[in-house]
Amino acid sequence: MKDHLHTSEDQLNLPEEFSRRSFLKLAGFTFAGGVLAGCQQSNLEKAIPHLIKPEELVPGVPLWYASTCAGCSAGCGVLVKTRDGRPIKLEGNPEHPISRGGLCAVGQASLLGLYDSQRLGAPLAHGKESTWEQVDAAIKAELEGIRKRNGAVRFLTGTITSPTTNELVRRFLSTFKDARHVVYDPVSSSALLDAHERTHGVRALPQFRLEKATTIVSLNADFLGTWLSPVEFTKAYRQGRSLQGTPPVFSYHTQFESRLSITGSNADERVSVSPVELAHVASRLLSLLTERAGRRLPVAVPLLDERLERCTTECVERLWRTKGKSLVVCGVNDVAIQVVVNAINEVLGNYGSTIDLNRSSYQAQGNDTDLAKLLDEIRSGNVSALFVDGVNPFYDLPGAQELAAACETIPLPVSFGERNDETAEHMHYVLPQPHELERWNDSEAIAGIVSLTQPTIQPLRPARPLMETISIWMGTKESAYNLIRAEWERSIFKRQTREQSFTQFWNKTLHDGFAIVEPKRQAVSSFNPAAVAESLRQLSTQSLQQKLFVELHASSTILDGRHAHNAWLQELPDPVTKIVWDNVASLSRKRAESLNLHEGDVVRLNREGGRVIELPIHIQQGHQDDVISVSLGYGRKGTDRFHHVNPKWLQAKPTVEKGGTVGTNAAPLLEWKGKTLSYFVSGIEVERTGTNRQIAVTQEYDFLTNPNLLGESSGEKRNIIQQASLATFVANPSAGSFPKPPLDSLWPEEHTYPGHRWGMVIDLTACTGCSACVISCQVENNIPVVGKDEVARNRELQWLRIDRYYEEEGETLRVAHQPMLCQHCGNAPCETVCPVLATVHNSEGLNQQVYNRCVGTRYCANNCPYKVRHFNWFQYPRGDEIARMVLNPDVTVRDRGVMEKCTFCVQRIQLAKIEAKNEGRALRDGDVKSACQQSCPADAIIFGDVNDPNSEVSRKMKDPRTYRVLEELGVRPSIGYMTLVRNSDGIAVAEGGMKNG
Amino acid sequence: MKLLNNRMTTVVLLVAVVLTMSVFFTSFTSNMRLPDNHQGFEPVQPIAYSHRLHAGELGIDCLHCHGGAEQSRTAGIPPASTCMNCHQFVTASILSVREEDKLAAKESRPPRKIVSPDLQKLYRAVGLNEMGERDISLTAEGIEWIRVHSLPSFVYFNHSAHVNSGVACQTCHGNVETMERVRQVSDLSMGWCVNCHRDANANGINAKPVNASIDCDACHH
Repeated sequence: MKDHLHTSEDQLNLPEEFSRRSFLKLAGFTFAGGVLAGCQQSNLEKAIPHLIKPEELVPGVPLWYASTCAGCSAGCGVLVKTRDGRPIKLEGNPEHPISRGGLCAVGQASLLGLYDSQRLGAPLAHGKESTWEQVDAAIKAELEGIRKRNGAVRFLTGTITSPTTNELVRRFLSTFKDARHVVYDPVSSSALLDAHERTHGVRALPQFRLEKATTIVSLNADFLGTWLSPVEFTKAYRQGRSLQGTPPVFSYHTQFESRLSITGSNADERVSVSPVELAHVASRLLSLLTERAGRRLPVAVPLLDERLERCTTECVERLWRTKGKSLVVCGVNDVAIQVVVNAINEVLGNYGSTIDLNRSSYQAQGNDTDLAKLLDEIRSGNVSALFVDGVNPFYDLPGAQELAAACETIPLPVSFGERNDETAEHMHYVLPQPHELERWNDSEAIAGIVSLTQPTIQPLRPARPLMETISIWMGTKESAYNLIRAEWERSIFKRQTREQSFTQFWNKTLHDGFAIVEPKRQAVSSFNPAAVAESLRQLSTQSLQQKLFVELHASSTILDGRHAHNAWLQELPDPVTKIVWDNVASLSRKRAESLNLHEGDVVRLNREGGRVIELPIHIQQGHQDDVISVSLGYGRKGTDRFHHVNPKWLQAKPTVEKGGTVGTNAAPLLEWKGKTLSYFVSGIEVERTGTNRQIAVTQEYDFLTNPNLLGESSGEKRNIIQQASLATFVANPSAGSFPKPPLDSLWPEEHTYPGHRWGMVIDLTACTGCSACVISCQVENNIPVVGKDEVARNRELQWLRIDRYYEEEGETLRVAHQPMLCQHCGNAPCETVCPVLATVHNSEGLNQQVYNRCVGTRYCANNCPYKVRHFNWFQYPRGDEIARMVLNPDVTVRDRGVMEKCTFCVQRIQLAKIEAKNEGRALRDGDVKSACQQSCPADAIIFGDVNDPNSEVSRKMKDPRTYRVLEELGVRPSIGYMTLVRNSDGIAVAEGGMKNG
Repeated sequence: MKLLNNRMTTVVLLVAVVLTMSVFFTSFTSNMRLPDNHQGFEPVQPIAYSHRLHAGELGIDCLHCHGGAEQSRTAGIPPASTCMNCHQFVTASILSVREEDKLAAKESRPPRKIVSPDLQKLYRAVGLNEMGERDISLTAEGIEWIRVHSLPSFVYFNHSAHVNSGVACQTCHGNVETMERVRQVSDLSMGWCVNCHRDANANGINAKPVNASIDCDACHH
């Protein structure tokens, strides 16, 4: 058949005379044409090839680049997957010494920031768009004036791990008489560094080696969640908690904390303490340990109450037993406590074994004292030029408004950033910064581990990195690439001996993403006991009478607010509370009852000085009664962009009101305690507003036992999480196993799996619940964001969720995290009810979901006992054209009315099979890694071919710890879970009703 | 009244029968087929590139230009630089060049450079002038080819898996080397794919046994 649609116009000339006959002829032709048009390609697809194809590029084949993650300042190594010139996935670099293949949820999601169309595209001068030339000229002129009159120049930044940037800032500031570089972290660890200055004579952050510790005591440090370097710590933590070997090397982890953090939820022993009790516990630990060491403290430390005395004594026993192989960490930003903790580690001889001060970390360099001094200078009007980079002081510091007003007097305030944020709008000049995926950068996050960041896409916005800007202001117009190369040749190349030529060293580092060089040595002096007495005295003055504190902490998803514009992270359930798109005031049930508050009631938290925030409350298990905890990072300006993030329909409620913000900024409650920022705030008054705000959560029932409204089976325990204590596990590897039910099948025959049979094993002992896998899955599989309202209607779409269960309550609270995804059942209940065969079993054990067959009856979801199927209720908005560039071209973008669920990353399976076939070899174990497995910082997920007897997954399947969730249903899931082993005694095991909380 | 009713019924029935028959008739005579079946699609391309000449007469291997077929999901359309490898020298058909040579000899002048109209388009696309010479005032424009073989967005076909298993290009694309303008020969329907996979599993490809999956998610994911 000829192609009628593409004939040119002159071929279709109408006859001059339009007779009845020709009308009929034409009418007939039109009719036939209409019919034919139905079977014609109606919209022509254009295919525009390259003019000159880059040598390394084959359209359709991904390219991988080694780079460095910039989600926080931990400096994890990433591999950037690019398809046809655009990055579509970040994965952990398995060889990188810091992250060792893991990548957290924040790191994975930072990809979306690249495709944010609201990033600034041009520099702003006094709020209006300008050009780089004009802005440079104006700033240079101002700087010249400041230089002449010896004005004060201040560079205020977050932690910068880039040696090149730090060096350039130093050089730039050295051209002024009065100039300083002030560093602060919005969630500060300054006290930790200050304490080491007092005790070891060097203001440095040591590297904590959790893998070497057999006893870990954490005082409110959420090291598996947000503290310093969570991926590095998770890897190390898991390494130190292995069930291999006889007897297994498995650390004992005690967590003293006031709210329930991810770290606390994984601890073997969790002690909830109020902030004051925490200080006293630290002192008491030191005094008991000093006694054990046969010495005496200069200051008398009061006894604790009976409960805490028992816990600390036990703790001291363990620490002393594992002297030199133990570790005490503390996440409180208070120098006195940190000094005491240093003294504890010193008594235990942990310096040099589990704490490395020689190879120190640069992951947090903030100095609150410097910041306080700068703020005083600003208030007194003594600053001539202020440059702000990477932080948002008018948002994340207390008294931001007053500060902004004081800044009005600064002649030259300049901000570097991605958007016109709270700070930038008060600045005369705003200079847009590129995203980390479109620029050159370097990083030395831990002394001696240097990494490179390389651009993986043509810049989407014309931005200019800070280092180039400084170079231009200093009159040497150099590109970031040249600047980094020059700096590396000058200072870093010398610190290694392996490579002879710099070019070789550079190329190898660029290829690997990192290099190991000699760390810069610092003069660490021996422990100075003088500081301890003073600190102990300070701590002992804290009155136990104080009641009600607010604890402010970094959000597990958007951190200090820097990722508030990232929809993936906003919709990632908090690993503990499971709340999305909001921050809340969490408190214990007891406290809520005493205040007569119910879930979602909005309260006003009043602090003297007119500092007030309004938040809905959330009743949280494991919370200390005297503490209300609030997450920082919410309430960012411009987050009303998510007004329409959810689908539009009749009853839709916007995720955020126009002109509003997602959540509430809690930074106004922050408090200066001397020269450090305090995240525990006392003297808070809680006032009811009488209103209620809906909180969207992804998990509404938290227990392993049936709720009390189920008649006879009320309180019955479901076979979901198998648990054992370490002692029982050592005695019997299958300890805690659920009774094996008789699996009679009504099916005449089982499926045969002649080739591969895909399966997965998830080790619950390893899983920390960090949720990196959830984001990894979302990115890989083009899962849309549905918005707060849809989540509240239980319509979230993430294929993989992490169920978090509580057992018992109060002191004996135990928490379990369980990643839950499609179990790819052998006898899948969903398959039998689909009327159109849209979900069917394949020859490799996958439960397939065929989108183009699905008509959306949702019978399958109703019949799934694991509730892992998700329905596309709408055509979800996927952002604008730029945001859609993040979509993975190997996965179908699902339409409205279609069911979807985990596919075991079948696109990766297919690709790996084809690659193996093309290379003429059999598929090897490890060729296929599911997205969730690849990114897991705890290596909790193993995926592979169960039919291959030598594969890791088939070995794990035969492990006595492996069980199936709800095995008694006889659906024969392909996912095995491994018993959650805790290093604590008294786990009530197996059968019998566990007490419901 | 009753008569009228009967007549009305007859008329309505007759019209219905005629309509149904005409629909069937049209559908058979006009090759009506399922939506999205573009068998026979033969669009006019921006440059009248002849596969008959290049692949047929000159015998250039398919993979010379469509190298992606061996390594990637997509076979790819060659970049203009691939064309220019030859066409920076070959500017017109040999016949027209010879004719010009003859004419030049007759008029006793050096022969002029002859550029065929379609190659003029190529030169413009890569930013040269119509004679294939550098001109800094011109910018490269690219060539907007019209895609002939297009699968729905929920289907994932991988060229490399097929080419490396020994499936000839012609199996799916027909005898492209005889086509002046490329035409979609197969209907690229799912039944057509699956039949071939079944056949390959039963008989192998070139007598070599293969494992051609007929699982849904081999193509739909």
